[in-house]
Amino acid sequence: MHAPAHPRLVSHAAAKDNWACLMARAQDGDRQAYRALLIAITPYIRALTRRALRDAADVDEVVQDVLLTLHQIRHTYDPSRPFAPWLATIARRRIVDRVRWNANHTAQKMASVAALLTETPTERHSPQDERNGLREAIDALPERQRHAIELLKLRGLTLQEVSQQTGMSIGSLKAATHRAFKALRRLLSE
Amino acid sequence: MSNIDHTIESFIASLAETAVPVRRLWPPFVRASLWLVFAVATILALALLKGMHHDLALRLARREFALELFASLATGVGAAFAAFYVSLPDRSPLWALLPVPGLVLWSFAMGVGCYADWIRLGPNGFILGSSFECLGFIVLSTVPLSAALLYLLRHAAAIRPIATTTLSTLSVAALAGVGQSLTHHFDTTLMILLWHAGTTGLLLATARFLGPSFLRKAMGRAARV
Repeated sequence: MHAPAHPRLVSHAAAKDNWACLMARAQDGDRQAYRALLIAITPYIRALTRRALRDAADVDEVVQDVLLTLHQIRHTYDPSRPFAPWLATIARRRIVDRVRWNANHTAQKMASVAALLTETPTERHSPQDERNGLREAIDALPERQRHAIELLKLRGLTLQEVSQQTGMSIGSLKAATHRAFKALRRLLSE
Repeated sequence: MSNIDHTIESFIASLAETAVPVRRLWPPFVRASLWLVFAVATILALALLKGMHHDLALRLARREFALELFASLATGVGAAFAAFYVSLPDRSPLWALLPVPGLVLWSFAMGVGCYADWIRLGPNGFILGSSFECLGFIVLSTVPLSAALLYLLRHAAAIRPIATTTLSTLSVAALAGVGQSLTHHFDTTLMILLWHAGTTGLLLATARFLGPSFLRKAMGRAARV
C-alpha cells in the first residue's frame, strides 16, 4: 500500500500536466490557452534563471528570450512527452547564452577601464570619443537589442519593416528597444 | 498576473496575439528514416550517373573494402538519427554519441586498408593522385544534401546548433563517402582515406563556422513571430 503523496507535490505535478495540455491546445491555435500557459510558466522560468543570474534586468531579459524561443519552436513539442524537460532545456540554453554574454561583457568592461586608466585627460570627451563610446556601447548590447536599436533608431525603419526583416514581433521589438535604452544608459553612465 | 511585470505581460500578450496553429514535427525516428531514404537515393542516383567502378564486385569481395563501406554507412546513418534527436529540446544530448562506434570502425577499417595495401603493393600503393571527377561528385552530393538536412533541422538553431550541424555534416560526408567508394577509380586505400577524411574534415570545419548561422537564418525566415 502506498502512502498518499504530499498535496503540494500532487498540485505541482498536476500543474505540469496542465502545461502539457495548454501547450497542445496552443499548438492547435488556441490563443487563450497559449496566453494562460505563458503566464503560468513565467514564474518557473524566472526561478530557474535566478539560480544563475542575480541582476533583475538580466533575469527579465532571459525570461523574454526563453518565451520568444518557446514561441519560435513550439512546433517541436510532442504532446505525448512531458512538457517541463522541453521547457527546461530551452531555458537553460538562454541562461547559458546570457551568462556567456555577461562574461564577455565583463572582459570588455575591464579592457575599457584599463584604457581609461592609461589615457591622458586631454584624450577624453571629444565628440569623436563620445561617438566611439556610443558605438561600443551599442555593439556590446545583446543581439536582439542591438538589432532593435540599429534598425529602428539609427536607420529609422518602421516597426513593421524591422519585424519583417528580423522575424521579431512588434511587441518583442518594443520590449527589446526599451531594454536596450536601459542598458545603454547603464553602460554610458559607468 | 500579479507577479509578472508589465513589460513581460505585454510581451506575452503580443506573442499570444500572433500565435497561429502550427504543424507538429513527426517523430525524429520517422523524419530521420525518410531523410536517409532520400539521401541514399540521391547518392546512388549520382553514383549511377557518374558510373560505378568497373570491377566493383571484385572490390566488394575484399574484406577491408566491405568493412570500410559498412562502417561509412553506419556512421552516416548513426549521425543522421543523432542529428534529428539532438535537435529537439526534450531529447538527451547523449544521442550525439550514436555515430561514434561507426566512426571508430570507419577509421579502423581505413587503417587496416592502408596496412593491407602496404602488404599487397608495397611503396607503390602510397603514390598520391588527384581526381576532379571525385571533387565534382563530392560537391554535387554534399552541398545540396547538407543544406536540405540543415533546413529540416533549422529549429535546432535555438537549442544545440553546433552539435546538430556537426552531426548533419558528418552524416552527409559519410554517406557521400559510400557513393565515392562505389565510383572512384582509386585502387589504394590511402587515396580513399585522403579523399574521405579530407572531405569529411573540410565539411566539418565549414559546418562548424557556417552551420549555426545558416540554421539561425533558416529559422528566422521560417518563424514569423
